[in-house]
Amino acid sequence: MKSYWKNIYNWINSRVDLSELVEFMGKKYVPVHRHSVWYYFGGVSLFLFIIQVVTGILLLLYYKGSTDLAFESIQFIMSKVEFGWLIRSIHSWTANLFILSAMIHMFSVFFEKAYRKPREITWLTGMLMFFLALGFGFSGYLLPWNELAFFATKVGTDIVGVVPVIGKPIMVFLRGGEDVTGATLSRFFGFHIAVFPGIFTILLSIHLLLVQRQGMSEPFRTHDEPDWERKTMPFFPNFVLRDLLLWLIVLNILAILAVFFPWELGKKADAFASAPAGIKPEWYFLFMFQTLKYIPGKLWLIDGEILGILLFGAAGLVWLMIPFWDRKSNRGEKNRMVNYIGLFVIIYIIVFTIVGWIV
Amino acid sequence: MDSLRKALLFIFICSLCLFNLNYAKSLNSANQCFICHESNGDKASLLFKKDIHFKAGVTCAGCHGGDPRTDDMEKAMSKRSGFIGVPKGDDISKACKKCHSNPEIMKKYNSVLPTNQAGLLQMSVHGKLSTSGKENMLQCISCHNAHGIAHVKDKASPVHPSNVIKTCGSCHSNASFMRTYNPSLPIDQAVKYRTSVHGMLHAKGDNKVAVCTSCHGGHDIRQKNDLKSKVYKTNLPSTCAHCHSNSEYMKEYKIPTNQFEKYTQSVHGIALLKKHDVSAPACNDCHGNHGATPPGIESISKVCGTCHALNSELFSSSPHKKAFDERKYPECETCHGNHEIITATDRLLGVDKGAVCGNCHKQNDNVKGFKVAKTMRMLIDSLENSEKRAIALVNEAEQKGMEISEAKYKLRDAHQARLEARTMVHSFNLSKFQGVVRKGFSTASIVNHEAELAVNDYYYRRYGLGVATLIITILVISLYKTIRRIERKKKV
Repeated sequence: MKSYWKNIYNWINSRVDLSELVEFMGKKYVPVHRHSVWYYFGGVSLFLFIIQVVTGILLLLYYKGSTDLAFESIQFIMSKVEFGWLIRSIHSWTANLFILSAMIHMFSVFFEKAYRKPREITWLTGMLMFFLALGFGFSGYLLPWNELAFFATKVGTDIVGVVPVIGKPIMVFLRGGEDVTGATLSRFFGFHIAVFPGIFTILLSIHLLLVQRQGMSEPFRTHDEPDWERKTMPFFPNFVLRDLLLWLIVLNILAILAVFFPWELGKKADAFASAPAGIKPEWYFLFMFQTLKYIPGKLWLIDGEILGILLFGAAGLVWLMIPFWDRKSNRGEKNRMVNYIGLFVIIYIIVFTIVGWIV
Repeated sequence: MDSLRKALLFIFICSLCLFNLNYAKSLNSANQCFICHESNGDKASLLFKKDIHFKAGVTCAGCHGGDPRTDDMEKAMSKRSGFIGVPKGDDISKACKKCHSNPEIMKKYNSVLPTNQAGLLQMSVHGKLSTSGKENMLQCISCHNAHGIAHVKDKASPVHPSNVIKTCGSCHSNASFMRTYNPSLPIDQAVKYRTSVHGMLHAKGDNKVAVCTSCHGGHDIRQKNDLKSKVYKTNLPSTCAHCHSNSEYMKEYKIPTNQFEKYTQSVHGIALLKKHDVSAPACNDCHGNHGATPPGIESISKVCGTCHALNSELFSSSPHKKAFDERKYPECETCHGNHEIITATDRLLGVDKGAVCGNCHKQNDNVKGFKVAKTMRMLIDSLENSEKRAIALVNEAEQKGMEISEAKYKLRDAHQARLEARTMVHSFNLSKFQGVVRKGFSTASIVNHEAELAVNDYYYRRYGLGVATLIITILVISLYKTIRRIERKKKV
């Protein structure tokens, strides 16, 4: 068996010179320290994205993006297409796990201050990919054209419409008109399968290229230690094999979720029906949704909802720009304030998500 | 003695004349208008002499204003004395309202009349503006007359039960008049009424029977689609029951008085009165309204057939039609009853206890009919069981989280076939019935098959997951061992 694999390797090697690539990868090292475990979430996010691309393409073979057929085509996928139920459930579950994994990756980078010079662009591309992932989630949620998706999109785009000056035109652009209609579905379908993946691929290429070029960021503690005291492991095969091991476990988790908790389809959307009671957005928007519910209608002279949206916008911008205002970390000094901000954000998100889920 | 008698008679006659003169003076001294107008032979004052108001002491000034105490025309009919002349438009009703809406004034005349007639009239369909747009459509005098107003119980009154049909008909039977208000409203109510049981008795002088006002109300008449109307669909049974459930009132007519009670418990009554389903029939849907009469034996299926068209059609072309007519059986009513019609379930079919076919088709007397009824019941029961099995399997698959909406949709077809089979019973033709039932069996069997596949798939998925997990676990362990081996080799 071993010689069989070796023969294949030799056959390819004699044509494309694989040994040079293996040697190059073998010379790349990944730092080993107490927080090395967080490195794996970048890889897990990448793996989940690949699953999304593959399952998304498979779903595309049967999905029909029109109000008359969208719901029925998903119904067909789930009941008639061989393993269609599995592909659809995995696609839906992966979407959620992808955002969760990307979130963990983002916070680990934040707390490790890995965004500091020279990795500002890596942070920026990562953050933009995270926003795109939320866009993927929001646009993909509408595609089955079911009741919940319809009203969640209505509420979501309504919130966008509240933003002063630019809100209304953006809302009309997103909806393809004043209301959520077939035009909205067509647009969201276009964003979901063409626009977002295109931009995402470019950002991902830059992100991965930079990671390869600059290597993994190291925490402050090990940065100043002499070279001989630093622990490392070869990127290939050690780190790659560990990544692979984790990917297999994630794949198994996905299969269990898809079989035991198949993603429901619900009722077909009816624009003339009243919104179902207790309608909520997906969990990753829940903390913002819940906050907007708690803000009073009028705060000082400003509309509460507008204020909330503007505050979230400003907070997102501040978060995005951290490599440029956290000068202490850039100088290699510890910045506890940034840690407190990060902790506050995590606690805030967890608490408001739980409250939003329960209430 | 004779002269004494003559003297006493003279004194008596003189005192009588004096008394009469004084009485007339006292009666009319405050109604100089009447004295003058009557002496002129005025038609209005001649009528007024018989008017209930005149008898109660109401003078002409009561409606026309002015000073009735003076015989000076200038003074009596001056504006200063409040003379308004002949009231026009809404002023007519205003003049009536002045007293009839004032309980204090009405009390002085010892009246027991309600004082809300004007208000009711204003809110009624007749309270709307007339075509001229200047006044209300109806004034009090339109129905009660002006100078010869009589008590409602007085036969001379246009609103006495004996005259109501004519009074209402004066407008409602006038096509050119009604066209100006409501061109879609029929004008044959009075004609139809004359053909009804009510109308025929009324023509014989029975004033107890229903007339227009009995059902539509007097001053408070509303359109039939007005929720407050006495003839609104959900109010109509109570309106009819007002008389028809009053055993004392109905005594002389010798008809039952429990129809309303039965109706409220029937499938129609529950649908209309409890579920507020206005498509359910009220009394008038079967008996007619203005031409109300009990449906004849041969016409019952036509009456029921206005809604249950297919059942009626099948029955009419079935062998039962001839047999029922010959025996004078009241078609639908024979099996379903009339006012107390309950929900028709499969239990009505067959020869078991509670079924109606066995009432005529006895095992010994009518073997063919007995067998057909028995087979039909057996088939419809089997169909119901097949449908129930299919529902249970679909529910099981759904509870297991399987996508089974298509099979669930097909369940409707199976149910529809059962409903069609129930209708087809009315053909009393076994082969036709079997055709419909077979369709139901076939659909139920398809649903059963699809649901079974879904349930099996549920277990197959778990089995597949187990295999996949095993493979992944082996791969994970192998990878782990490889990593350990590589790292151990490096340390060495």
